[in-house]
Amino acid sequence: MNAVNRIERPVNMNDIKIAAKGVQVYYADTHAIKDVNVEIEDKTVTAFIGPSGCGKSTFLRTLNRMNDTIDICRVTGDIRIDGEDIYDPKVDPVQLRAKVGMVFQKPNPFPKSIYDNVAYGPKIHGLARNKADLDEIVEKALRRGAIWDEVKDRLHAPGTGLSGGQQQRLCIARAVATEPEVLLMDEPCSALDPIATAQVEELIDELRQRYSVVIVTHSMQQAARVSQKTAFFHLGNLVEFGETDKIFTNPEDPRTESYISGRIG
Amino acid sequence: MTDLSASNSSSLLTEDKHTKKRNAAEKRFRAYGLGAIILACAMLVVLLVSIVSNGASSFKQTYISFPVTISQEEFDAAEGSILKTGAYNKMLQSALLSYLTTNDLLGEATEDDASGLVSGEAAADVRRLLLANADVIGTEIDFTILANGRIDGYFKGRVTRETAAVDSKITGAQLDLADRMTEHGAMITKFNWRFFTNPDASVQRPEAAGLGVAILGSLYMMAVVLCLALPIGVAASIYLEEFAKKSWITDVIEVNIANLAAVPSIVYGILGLAIFINFAELHQSSPLVGGLVLTLMTLPTIIISTRASLKSIPPSIRDAALGVGASKMQSVFHHVLPLAAPGILTGTIIGLAQALGETAPLLLIGMVAFVKEYPAAYSSELGLFGEASTALPVQIFNWTTRSDPAFVERASGAIITLLIFLLIMNAFAIFLRKKFERRW
Repeated sequence: MNAVNRIERPVNMNDIKIAAKGVQVYYADTHAIKDVNVEIEDKTVTAFIGPSGCGKSTFLRTLNRMNDTIDICRVTGDIRIDGEDIYDPKVDPVQLRAKVGMVFQKPNPFPKSIYDNVAYGPKIHGLARNKADLDEIVEKALRRGAIWDEVKDRLHAPGTGLSGGQQQRLCIARAVATEPEVLLMDEPCSALDPIATAQVEELIDELRQRYSVVIVTHSMQQAARVSQKTAFFHLGNLVEFGETDKIFTNPEDPRTESYISGRIG
Repeated sequence: MTDLSASNSSSLLTEDKHTKKRNAAEKRFRAYGLGAIILACAMLVVLLVSIVSNGASSFKQTYISFPVTISQEEFDAAEGSILKTGAYNKMLQSALLSYLTTNDLLGEATEDDASGLVSGEAAADVRRLLLANADVIGTEIDFTILANGRIDGYFKGRVTRETAAVDSKITGAQLDLADRMTEHGAMITKFNWRFFTNPDASVQRPEAAGLGVAILGSLYMMAVVLCLALPIGVAASIYLEEFAKKSWITDVIEVNIANLAAVPSIVYGILGLAIFINFAELHQSSPLVGGLVLTLMTLPTIIISTRASLKSIPPSIRDAALGVGASKMQSVFHHVLPLAAPGILTGTIIGLAQALGETAPLLLIGMVAFVKEYPAAYSSELGLFGEASTALPVQIFNWTTRSDPAFVERASGAIITLLIFLLIMNAFAIFLRKKFERRW
């Protein structure tokens, strides 16, 4: 019901979904993210680009507290989703991750059936009251993952038997099955061939209708194709953040320009 | 090499010096490897052949079969006497004598020779039979009773006329008699079921010694080990691997677990003696104490193999579960543990197999005791777990210390039995691994 209201709003008046202020991330003694401030809009694809090791994946993982699983990792600063501090001691990361879904670099379906892969999230969050409910959720998620037509006849075949691109779309379907509000994607196409990449990119564009999508990518073309906003990270700093068109055509910072033109990276 | 220009132009059709050297080294290495494997196989074959050739005969046993009639009066008199089995022994001997004389088998053998053929265990067997089936009293029944161990050895080639000549317990006349009885069908060789059901027997009666109590004790101990070591070991590994924050304490624990796996097993026996028997005052030589000691010994093995199989699960599966909002525990129990299960089970079964064959710690907690009777479940509040028992490897150890060569056969037979148990367990481990293995 909420979703309908949101769609009716004009795109250029998007709310701020995630607001990060003064975020610092340390791995033991290494200062991985240095004072990053960024505001991520709702119903927008935001791309994080930058050379390897610049901290873009690390920053992405702070947004759903996946860094909590790393003992030596320490995050300071203020990250708010819809105005709520996600690092507040009262926040349960499990609830947060249901709200902020994640798709990983390498397709990582569970070694279970396609159906079970998608149904797992709704099951543990109690989103389905009965089997019919669950079937419906699974179908809806698989449709949103743009993979329904390919797998509808073999929902009980193992998810690991799909091709790489199908696996990644299955993982996206699995992520959207819990009805998240934000979808984080960590280089979702780096393990895929160009055709599968094109399919996933098309899907990302569709997902923008409902979710705030944050995508980390190595491919500048991809960032240019799918995102409306782009953030350029370099050595742990957020160098530049703005409209994708502007970043790619008329960057303010010389480092951004060097990276985009291929001189650093 | 004779042609300088050829070596310079380095034709692909001739090996150059360097390549030759490399190939020779490779061939040598292959030869070493092959040699090592052949040596190991030869050793294994020698071991198996010697055990089987010594022990296979223990699965057969020589029995004397002849008709006996025991009247109600004789039965009552025997039951009324002080030495009950002694009275039955006399009845058996006279019945055997009359059978031999009526069939004209006695020949030059004396009466003592004839009664010497019967095992000392036979009278007790007959008494047990009569007490169990009162209706056979007064009727003529064909008794099949154990023959003496020397006679048994004669049919298995262990006792020959040469050894009989210098053996005070057997005479040539007895061997002749045994031959005649075999021809007449009064002496038969059957599969030795009693080897698996009888308890141990005294040094004088190797023919009656069996593995019954030892197998029972081993099974009870394995049950204790499985019920304790598997949950404790798996829980400890999951905690250490998935939940515990890495710190110097976990490092110390890790090193200690690795070291515990290398502690000589007899040390665990001393520990068990001190804690379970002297401090906790559990019944010594009981399967419960044995199982507890073996649990301590098996835990490091299970923890190490469980941690290894948990480690082998790719972190992407954990990420995937956490990413859809599973809690840490859900990600472990729903995804990681099922994938690690084949490895955990294999490790557990290998640990169990190790525990099954372990002797040293059991010696220290009194499981080396001579157990002549099946444990009685009602005499201890712990049931059979608290009763004096023995175990397969300890029974082997026990038998090998006895002087009668018949016990060498028994010990080898017990080794074969133990090896078969181990083979079954390992086959089961492989089966489980294949069955639950999932690919991704």
